[in-house]
Amino acid sequence: MRARDLLYETWQALTANRGRSMLTILGIVIGIAAVISMTALIGGIQNTIVSSLGLNQSREIYISVSAGRSVTEGDLERIRLSVPGYELVTGTVSGTSTITQGKKSANASITGVDQGYFTTSSIKLAHGRFFSDAEMKAGGMVAIIDQNAVKDLFGDADVQVVGKTVKLGNDEYSIVGVSESSGFSMGSYETVYLPRKTATSRIIGSDASISQIIGYAKPNVDAEALAASTKTFLVSYFNVPADKADDEVTVMSMQSMVDQFNTVMSAFSLIMGAVAGISLLVGGIGIMNMMLTNVTERIREIGLRKALGARSADITRQFLLESIALCVCGGLLGILVGYLGAWGLALIVRAMRPSLASMSPAISPAAVLTAVGISVAIGVVFGYSPARRAARLDPVESLHYQ
Amino acid sequence: MVNVIEVHDLHRIYESGAGLTHALRGVSLTVERGEFIAIMGPSGSGKSTLMNILGCLDTPTSGSYRLEGLDISRLGDDDLAEIRATRLGFVFQSFNLLPRATVMRNVMLPLLYSDCPVREREPRAVKALSSVSLPVEYFDHRSNELSGGQMQRVAIARALVNDPAVVLADEPTGNLDSATGQMVLETFERLRDEGKTIVLITHDPTVASWADRTMHIRDGHILTDEQEREAVAASETHGRGTT
Repeated sequence: MRARDLLYETWQALTANRGRSMLTILGIVIGIAAVISMTALIGGIQNTIVSSLGLNQSREIYISVSAGRSVTEGDLERIRLSVPGYELVTGTVSGTSTITQGKKSANASITGVDQGYFTTSSIKLAHGRFFSDAEMKAGGMVAIIDQNAVKDLFGDADVQVVGKTVKLGNDEYSIVGVSESSGFSMGSYETVYLPRKTATSRIIGSDASISQIIGYAKPNVDAEALAASTKTFLVSYFNVPADKADDEVTVMSMQSMVDQFNTVMSAFSLIMGAVAGISLLVGGIGIMNMMLTNVTERIREIGLRKALGARSADITRQFLLESIALCVCGGLLGILVGYLGAWGLALIVRAMRPSLASMSPAISPAAVLTAVGISVAIGVVFGYSPARRAARLDPVESLHYQ
Repeated sequence: MVNVIEVHDLHRIYESGAGLTHALRGVSLTVERGEFIAIMGPSGSGKSTLMNILGCLDTPTSGSYRLEGLDISRLGDDDLAEIRATRLGFVFQSFNLLPRATVMRNVMLPLLYSDCPVREREPRAVKALSSVSLPVEYFDHRSNELSGGQMQRVAIARALVNDPAVVLADEPTGNLDSATGQMVLETFERLRDEGKTIVLITHDPTVASWADRTMHIRDGHILTDEQEREAVAASETHGRGTT
């Protein structure tokens, strides 16, 4: 039997039972749509977060030193002098306080920053300005809060808050800027930036250690190599025992953070895929059920085809192809529905999280190919046994089947 | 004359839960090219079993069957399928057409299994349909829109489309009234005149009388002429034909 004839026969058989064919593939459509929309949505979120973290700003190197060692501005100066390759090295202090605006109050995560901070970090301003050098030096009563905090304290993320005041503890601060929220939520803590001097003198205490050091590599300097040499320097500078070096001194380039993040997102994607896989299994069982019914209904036709010279292999192929064609139709429809579904979900996510407002679903060709591959596989797996059953029918008995 | 069918000492034993059924007990017969023969017998006589073996749908337990000189009693399933596709044409009592398909598609169905080039299919179907005198305007009708007589003629055209060595017809008039049945039998007669070999199975003596030669089968045996006369006499005594 020629491939062309086989395809034509398949088309005839499926269109003869159009309504039932459509209902049967619904399970596959839903399964594939779930896989496509979920992976597209996760991919889209991943892309947005990676770009908001600034994958392109892979010049950042995050350094932290723990185990009770106090890090001072003097230590930062030593890094600048001893490790060549940095354009900037900035340090931040962090602490918590209570932020109050009118009758609303919330916990606040305070980051005290110095001059280089807004250059090195990927934080972008939505409104207003960064701190001026004068404010940094004098420890001015100024603050930058992020969009989520604006939403929580003023009721709406779009309220113009630059120039308004908020209270941290008992002190009043004037808001000079609003930063875009990163994809990461700080839980119930509002994000607040203060000049480092203000933070140490008013909130955290002037003896506070610098908790986070951010280095900014010079252009064309290999960030990974710089991170490695920084670590070597810090381990000897702070006299960290070799066996505790990895626990107490952490030096991470942005790239390695993005890599870690991608690993987590891929794992998440895999879990969603597994859930969608269950739907595909149910869909496959539906296909098998329909194909078994189909074979029973067409026993006489099978007997006739055998009497006219069809070999068992011809019959197997015909029914297997019907099953595969059903599944592939389901798969293609599922890709379409999944794509539309991913956009629908993306619009909801955009409305819910201003920080993801530019998010669009990422449909990868790999996901589409996988979906088609899965459909074919389901067609083969769940269509094989009905097709073999059809092929094994005795022509004499099936011709007289009532 | 060339023998198209040569059957010698054919036995067919079925195994079932109820035990062994000896359906054919040493059947021998020959059919020459261009002959129109009828095989008659009551239900359970073994005529359907014989038909299935002649049609290569079943294989004998013992004995030999040569179709156009080829011993097919020992062939495997795929080889039998090829024989059916190229050397045999079937006409069934209940027509067995694909109901939603057009007349043309029904007639071309066997060509899917015989490696017939695509461009030759339509001319061959048209030729087969014209040899059963089906008017051209019906060619694009769905087969379930036709009358019983027309359906059976489409089925005969389907049997002829591969130009088979033998056309096997199993009670071809069983589902038709006598007038349409006669038209179908006239079609067979004309095909015989054109040189086709036809084996017709029936339990109806009127239908069998259209054939050049009639063989009687009873209890798995082909009856001798003397046994045949006795059987006919016995059925006349009882005033009724066998059923």
